[in-house]
Amino acid sequence: MELKDLIQIEIPKLALFVPELVVLITGFVLFSLDLIYKRLSHSLAISVSVIGYTLALLYLVFNFDLRGETFYGLYVRDSFSSLLQVFMILLTIILLAFTLQYQRFKRSLYGEFYYLLSFSLLGGMVLVSSYNLLLIYIALEAVSVSFYILTALQRRDFTSKEGAFKYLILGGLAIALASYGAVFLYIYAGSFDLRQVLHFNAPDKSLLILGLVFFLFGLAIKIGVVPFHFWLPDAYQGAPTPITAYMSSVGKIAFFAPVLRVMPLVQESFHNIWVLAVGTLAVITFLYGNFVALVQKDVKRMLAYSSIAHSGYILAGVSVASAIGLKAVIYFLLAYSIMGMLGFLVLAVLERSGNWENKLEDFDGLKHSQDFMAWVFAIALLSLLGIPPTVGFLIKALIFMSLAYGKLWWVGILMIVGVGVSTGYYLRLIVLMFMKEGERRAITNPTGFEKASMVLMAVSLLILGILPMLLWNYISPTSEMLFRR
Amino acid sequence: MELVPAVFPFIPLSIVLPLLGIVLIVLLEEKFAKWIALVFSGAVLVLSLVSLLYFDFSQAQKVQFYQSITLIEELRLNLSFGADGLSYLMYILTTLVSFVAICWSIRDHQINHRLKEYYAWFLLSESSLVGVFTSWDMLVFYVFYELTLVPMFFVIGIWGYKLRLYSAYKFFVYIFVSSLFLLLGIVSITVEHYRQFGKFSFSYFDLLQNQYSLAFGLFLFLLFFIAFAVKTPIVPFHTWLPDAHGEAPTAGSVVLAAILLKMGTYALLRFNIGLFPEVAVFLMPVLVLWGIATIIFASWFTISQSNVKRFVAYSSVSHMGFVVAGMFLLNKEGLRASIMEMFAHGLTSASLFMMAGFIYNRLHSFNMQALRGSIRFMPVFAVLTAITGFSSMGLPGGSSFWGKFLTIMGAREYTLQLALLVLAGAFFSVLYVLYLLKTLYLDVKEEGRLVHFTDVRGFKLVAFLLVVVPMLLVGLLPFLFFAFFDAHIDLLLRMVLKSLGGGLWN
Repeated sequence: MELKDLIQIEIPKLALFVPELVVLITGFVLFSLDLIYKRLSHSLAISVSVIGYTLALLYLVFNFDLRGETFYGLYVRDSFSSLLQVFMILLTIILLAFTLQYQRFKRSLYGEFYYLLSFSLLGGMVLVSSYNLLLIYIALEAVSVSFYILTALQRRDFTSKEGAFKYLILGGLAIALASYGAVFLYIYAGSFDLRQVLHFNAPDKSLLILGLVFFLFGLAIKIGVVPFHFWLPDAYQGAPTPITAYMSSVGKIAFFAPVLRVMPLVQESFHNIWVLAVGTLAVITFLYGNFVALVQKDVKRMLAYSSIAHSGYILAGVSVASAIGLKAVIYFLLAYSIMGMLGFLVLAVLERSGNWENKLEDFDGLKHSQDFMAWVFAIALLSLLGIPPTVGFLIKALIFMSLAYGKLWWVGILMIVGVGVSTGYYLRLIVLMFMKEGERRAITNPTGFEKASMVLMAVSLLILGILPMLLWNYISPTSEMLFRR
Repeated sequence: MELVPAVFPFIPLSIVLPLLGIVLIVLLEEKFAKWIALVFSGAVLVLSLVSLLYFDFSQAQKVQFYQSITLIEELRLNLSFGADGLSYLMYILTTLVSFVAICWSIRDHQINHRLKEYYAWFLLSESSLVGVFTSWDMLVFYVFYELTLVPMFFVIGIWGYKLRLYSAYKFFVYIFVSSLFLLLGIVSITVEHYRQFGKFSFSYFDLLQNQYSLAFGLFLFLLFFIAFAVKTPIVPFHTWLPDAHGEAPTAGSVVLAAILLKMGTYALLRFNIGLFPEVAVFLMPVLVLWGIATIIFASWFTISQSNVKRFVAYSSVSHMGFVVAGMFLLNKEGLRASIMEMFAHGLTSASLFMMAGFIYNRLHSFNMQALRGSIRFMPVFAVLTAITGFSSMGLPGGSSFWGKFLTIMGAREYTLQLALLVLAGAFFSVLYVLYLLKTLYLDVKEEGRLVHFTDVRGFKLVAFLLVVVPMLLVGLLPFLFFAFFDAHIDLLLRMVLKSLGGGLWN
């Protein structure tokens, strides 16, 4: 017998891994640029980033049917990971249109920003394409550590530091919990692979449940599920607004991905516990998020709570561990990443007006001073509220549909309450912008790139709502595939 | 239900044309906005009237002009449009009243700022309302149903009177939250279709085949009913209406009262009775009595109003009581009464709100006392108001006569007491109209101020005539309208009977 047969060396199929490699190389190039140049040219850094991400995106789009596993099954490329990665990279590219102006205004232009962005993107991309607890753990750390630093990037600003510190403490706890859970799962099944763990059939399931609870609680902290959400409003408010947009979109996709990979693997034997536990968390999350958002005076913080509420809606879909639920949830996650990001990016542009504080009063009569921004923001808000024909409506309908499928009437009725409450704060902003006269505080004009990207996002919110098959035709086979695992 | 494919895309065109109008309004200068809106809504009106030539009245129960595009194959989510007799009548009402509203706005002094937006919202409202009445896919129906909220929210909030923000909020929140229950109901019957037939479907025709146990049917019926009861509205849920209708600009009130309320009653008839006939029969006594209570209470509320717009708004609630009571009598007279009243009320309420708006332009007040005797120096206006008033009252020959008379007939088929109750409701609704007419015509006021009033003319006269002439048609030639929906009523009653195994009224 040869040594080769004994160890079973696998040649890594790097073709599956090219997008990540490209992003990684981009990150290193940016890192070296920052190291070499004392005063980094930001347009150079942005160009390098955009070129790198675009290359990764193009590779993904043209090889969308690429499937397979590599690194001994650590890394999985399937339609799920490709779909999510396409969205993550696209949103990151869009984000880069907004950062320079904002940071220049806030006087926090740092070269670190660009490579931290790459590394967090890389972490997110790995996170959505693995079943392995160890790799998930490492990817979680990669995303989180970048996020801690990015949150604290405005180092002259107290709230930025406060938010980052809170995030660091609770994020550390999350990682600890998740790794603890991973250990239990390993003891239970003798494997770090989630598929093997969840398909493993031991008579005593207590270790599995314990492990899953710890693992998912860790992720729940990262996602910002109530009652583990305490860092989220502070971090979202303190972070530079483009970073908030990034965390609420790309970050959310990344942190939800492992949950979505676990969801189809839920077995008959603990299905009821899953439904009850996740359903309860979902209800608490969207009710709390919506009620607290209702009393916020600060719009950025309000959108942070709205982001919590939306995590609740997603969890409501997750609690229905069936294919229709997974389809609803993936659609919701992708659509939310656009509308949440758009909401924060509008703020990022508006904040560049001198005396703008994101207070509700600042929005009085915004339509008269910034017609374009008011309309874009209105579309984002109507979509967050769920008014057709925006995609926000469609995804809520899909969540309701999966709840009806799972006969979770109580979650459905409570979700009506939650959405009903959310009417209050979304509508208030629209009323302030369109129906009041104000002092015309918003004086900045968005640059051409910013305008183009905001139009793109607003239009895509409408298109995805009117022509759902564009996205559905990818999501539906993906979730069927995940259920066959 | 049978489908007749379209020879010409009348309905999709009626939805798309106003949207094209919006694009033009946005692109061109502000001074063109009103003319673009007028031309496009006029074109849609003409389109709907031309389509009358192609509508086959001998098959009015079938869905005609049917067209469908698939959105999601797996969920059978289609964009499907078509009209049977009932939808078709509502479609014509929509195009007519939308044109009237825009026609009125052109010479309305209230509308003097942000014209582009104003007319764009009205066109969006027309487009979505046509969609509501002609969609045969439940989710698409819901999309249009919700979409009608947005334009009216902005119209009330921007161009309304003093309490406009409060009213706009209230309007939006009431309707939006209640219609979330409808959304849950729609997806639930879709899932139920999956359980029974192995595939999802949002198509109304597929969903008609579902069978429900009484308890589950009752739950679903209630989910639908909450939404439509608030929209219609039925008495304890009506509180948004006087605010919204009272504070909206005239044209907004016209669209709200004439068409938006009909969405609720149309949907009750189409979905609550059509999809859950057993439950409708089960709840019949409650709902009929509820409708009658709505008539009586709303009539009392009406008489006590001092603001003429709120007066008209409350009178709408009382008329909706007739629609609901007639509908749930579930016999031929009752259903005829209900649909006739829907159409008739669309015309009379539009006319009454224009009347209130017209007087406001002259007197700058909505106070009933300020109106006393105000009408004498405007002969044309006086005639129009008289026709409207007597039609609304239910004088034989007036448009609401058929609604009230046939409801009483329908109620008499059950018991005399029920008929007497409806009669009492009809009596109260006569009272408040008489009170209004007395204030306008007979009360004396110092005459000096009033002589200078110019009479109704121009675009406003056109707007008035467009609703008053059909009003006379409804009153004098009701069989023209019965032709639209008699076949549909027979079909509906057959469905109700079938669900009961044949013997209901024994």
